[in-house]
Amino acid sequence: MDVDQEKPSYIALLEVPEDKIEIVPGASADLTSMTFSIKEEDHTLGNALRWCIMQNPQVDFCGYSIPHPSEAKTHIRIQTTESTNAIDTMNKGLDDLKAACHMVRSKFHQRLTEGKYTRSEQ
Amino acid sequence: MDGHVNDPNGPRIRIRHLDENSIDFVLSNTHLSVANSLRRTMIAEVPTMAIDLVEFHDNTSMLVDEYLAHRLGMVPLTSHTVDEFKLTRDCTCTDYCKECSVEFNLHVKCTEEGTRTVYSTELISSNKDVSPVSEGPDDKGIILLKLRKGQEINIHCIAKKGVAKEHAKWSPCAAVGFEYDPHNNLRHLDYWFEKSVKNEWPLSKNAEEEMENDPDAHFDFKAEPTTFYFNVETVGSLKPQSLVYMATRVLQEKLGGLQLALDEDQNPESNAMDDAEPWV
Repeated sequence: MDVDQEKPSYIALLEVPEDKIEIVPGASADLTSMTFSIKEEDHTLGNALRWCIMQNPQVDFCGYSIPHPSEAKTHIRIQTTESTNAIDTMNKGLDDLKAACHMVRSKFHQRLTEGKYTRSEQ
Repeated sequence: MDGHVNDPNGPRIRIRHLDENSIDFVLSNTHLSVANSLRRTMIAEVPTMAIDLVEFHDNTSMLVDEYLAHRLGMVPLTSHTVDEFKLTRDCTCTDYCKECSVEFNLHVKCTEEGTRTVYSTELISSNKDVSPVSEGPDDKGIILLKLRKGQEINIHCIAKKGVAKEHAKWSPCAAVGFEYDPHNNLRHLDYWFEKSVKNEWPLSKNAEEEMENDPDAHFDFKAEPTTFYFNVETVGSLKPQSLVYMATRVLQEKLGGLQLALDEDQNPESNAMDDAEPWV
């Protein structure tokens, strides 16, 4: 895949399974404290998302765990202040992390086209 | 994090060296977890093409069927067009088709005295964009097997799109060099030593990029790693710059998928899926 052109591609993930993300029973009544159970994910997503959500000053607590290594499931627990709820902060965290990835990609593309690096291609 | 999309203090990249098979760059002003997620995605979640099914019509070589099939699976295939393929499990065909797979044929019989060495470049692909990685017209590729006079192999292979999470043959990376804090200012490492840490542990090349803290100064316990030195080496199936590019995209797609699932969860009647992009 060439960096320069983005040909139309099959984005398989847009067809996510129905049970991809579930809310573990036991959430607080006002929805400020909640645990999300995400299937088929691991530290790759968990740790980065956890950090991103923690950057939000309205979040009191955010942690992730993998209940058992044999099962591909990640739990993310979010506890927020009264000013917001866990689902909104989860969405915000996802948006912010997507933005960070986008920035990395566009910066990378910019540096690549600038060409200020040594090369040893034949 | 508010407004950090247009934040001039966002992540920064500096590419140091670009090769046919490797790229050396520095990612700074991000958090360790983001850099690590990028590294993990590059190794395990960027899709490539690799042989997944082998049909044996003839195999009188010294290698058993499954041994040869394993070797064939590990052969790197040029995957720059991998985005145009669907995953076989998502494809609407029965078994396999042109849209989700690439077929390879190999038919070699040793007819002369002496060893007939069969190389990966002898695999004949049905799709000219997906073929065994080769460094040039002189490069014969990987040795698949050796035949004696009278021995023959006749195989039909089907290559599919996949990720290294399922099997390491799909990993586009040979290795990802990842380093931060070359002078150990953060004291994340506690070096073992006989007489002197400085003499016994040589500094890496990245140590030239950073300063060592004054040993008499107070230890900054709040400092966190922000500069990460990557050296990504690919196997040949993808170009190193494409690999980094695709890794960021895969990470974004994962997050996007999660948001979709979260929306679906919250609004099951809104049919959030219908607004998603159809298969192109």
